[in-house]
Amino acid sequence: MDFPFLKEAVTGLFTKSSCAMYPAVPSEAAPNYRGRIVYHPDKCINCMLCERVCSGNAITHTIEKTDEGDKITRTFYLGSCTFCATCMDFCGHGAIEFTRDYHMIATKEEDLMVSGSFIKKPPVKKPVPPKPAAAPAAAPAPKAEEKDAEACKPDKPVEAPKAEAAPVAEVKPRDDGKPVQDPAKCVYCTLCAKKCPAGALTVDRAAKTWVLDEDICVGCGTCAEACPKKAILI
Amino acid sequence: MFKNLIKESTGKSPWLFHINAGSCNGCDIELVSVLTPRYDAERLGFKLTGSPRHADIVVVTGPVTAQSLDRVLRTISQVPEPRCIVTMGSCPQSGNVFRGSYAIAGPLSKYVHVDVDVAGCTPKPEAVIDGLALATKILAEKRGQME
Amino acid sequence: MALILQALRYLVYVLVFPGFLFCFMTGLLLCGIDRKLVARMQKRVGPPILQPFYDFFKLCGKETIVPAAANRTVFLLAPLVGLAALVVIQLFIPVFRFSAFNSIADVIVILYLLLIPALSVIMGGAASGSPYAGVGLSREMVTILSCELPLLLVLLAIGKVVGTALGTGICFSLSKIVDYQMAHGSLLGKLSMIPAAVAFLLVIPGETGNHPFDAAEAETEICEGPLAEYSGAPLGVYKLSHAVKMLTMTSLFVALFLGGIGTGIENLMFQLGLSGGAAGAVAFLLEILVLFLLCAVLTFLTISVVHAVTARLRIEQLFKYYWTVVAGLALISLVLAWYGL
Repeated sequence: MDFPFLKEAVTGLFTKSSCAMYPAVPSEAAPNYRGRIVYHPDKCINCMLCERVCSGNAITHTIEKTDEGDKITRTFYLGSCTFCATCMDFCGHGAIEFTRDYHMIATKEEDLMVSGSFIKKPPVKKPVPPKPAAAPAAAPAPKAEEKDAEACKPDKPVEAPKAEAAPVAEVKPRDDGKPVQDPAKCVYCTLCAKKCPAGALTVDRAAKTWVLDEDICVGCGTCAEACPKKAILI
Repeated sequence: MFKNLIKESTGKSPWLFHINAGSCNGCDIELVSVLTPRYDAERLGFKLTGSPRHADIVVVTGPVTAQSLDRVLRTISQVPEPRCIVTMGSCPQSGNVFRGSYAIAGPLSKYVHVDVDVAGCTPKPEAVIDGLALATKILAEKRGQME
Repeated sequence: MALILQALRYLVYVLVFPGFLFCFMTGLLLCGIDRKLVARMQKRVGPPILQPFYDFFKLCGKETIVPAAANRTVFLLAPLVGLAALVVIQLFIPVFRFSAFNSIADVIVILYLLLIPALSVIMGGAASGSPYAGVGLSREMVTILSCELPLLLVLLAIGKVVGTALGTGICFSLSKIVDYQMAHGSLLGKLSMIPAAVAFLLVIPGETGNHPFDAAEAETEICEGPLAEYSGAPLGVYKLSHAVKMLTMTSLFVALFLGGIGTGIENLMFQLGLSGGAAGAVAFLLEILVLFLLCAVLTFLTISVVHAVTARLRIEQLFKYYWTVVAGLALISLVLAWYGL
């Protein structure tokens, strides 16, 4: 029988223990430790990307209608959170922050809910750009002279002059993740503009314009999901 | 006076029993690491026992799977009063990523009264020590109110 | 009147010293010292020394659950039987020159009484009706079986040495052994007794059921073995008897190998000019303290150090170890003693 650690055991009696005496000696978590969540509602735009990517389904929100707009309350349930920080990565506005506080002990469920609310005013409608001058009539009315010519040449297929249409190019999604509209499919129903949580789209049904404000757009994809014609690629 | 002595002693010598109700073992590793020399929990009186009948504090990890539900409840019922139930990690609190699965029987609080939740995935050993210290205080209170 | 005083004196012996209260205090203190030293050797801080006291009182406050499949009377009374036997043994063991019941002290009686705590664990386990308890108690039986042989050989060797000196063959009376040591110096001084002393030291952790010989009460393997279904006050009594057994075994070693010569404290006090009843009492208290310190040192050497550096032995390894190595050492001593060396 040999006792391999006998020497260490006996010397261990006289050396200091290697114990980090926790409650007496406070200890800090490592940098970049993902601890308790702090939510900054003033930076949130309610794009709901965080809710969609949360792996533990820990984020929920409620909306109350008030006079100034919608009061949105977002709640993070730490008892269902995996602390993967995917929500922090996806939030483009920095509304979610993971602190280094690891001390999350609760006797009631409410202690584990982190929530914040903010009022979302309806988006300010941008002034519509003036209508461009009407393009020349799509089908120039066949002149009287040409009619005879046409009658004389029955074989020539009647070429119905088309409007000045650029050759139909393939619409490709953008590299920076912002939406691009496919004008061939778009019917200017303005659904995308209504759904946009940031208010970055301006669509005019009559004028058939679709304008994206690139500074505000976060690339959340709500417009692409909302479009009934699948005319937005993102 | 004797009652006071018993109450003080209950607060200084809580014995743990650990139940793994389908956990991924992350929380189990952090729990036993609390008993290693770095975070020595034995200086606070904690001891891991082998039988639920010897325990005061039951630590449950893992989302309570359908297969383990009956066994977990039977084991918890074998723990003598006064007892404290501590859920460790976010799995027994809500199922975490497994919520809604056909195999998960739901958060533990649906079946027994949970005294302390230690949140985290997984909680740091310091947080576990804090949670267990709080559970010990609650245990001493329960002992004081018994009889 | 004298009879009442005598009865009162015996009552004090049984309840206070060296009876129940003394066993309670010193046993739990020794257990606490053991846990603290083991922790320090493992580079931890360890529980406070009074921790076993907190454990005992906490267990007294817990609810006692008797399983439905258990035999209620045996289940609840078995721990008390074990504790009573241990206290009786402690009553017979002399504390240097003081002995409570010296006219009846007999080593063979002590040997038989040492079986009873282990039997009480077995009875309690059998009464609880749990399969884990069944496995545990069969291991406990093997453990006491393996510890009995070396113990018997050691006692025979000592008895023979003392007996040849007194001319009575083999002497089994503990008080006579102590008197022999008072006259001739401690038994540890004789070379032929050293293997016996080593064998006895190795028997101590086996008898108390400490690591690495705690296969019977293996925590992680069989859910605490025979004690699996115990809770509350009966469990507290079992833990207490475990602690008192540490005290009993170490003080038995002190009495058999180191004792009798007294500590010389009384002589010292006489030389310092103090005498009389008060000085005698102080000397007596100091002797108890010396006994406690010796027991603590022995606990450290035989129980704590071995606990900190070894792994648990399997039950067949334990049996083989005791019946070859330890019994062999005791046998050497017995043979040497038989030839009068």
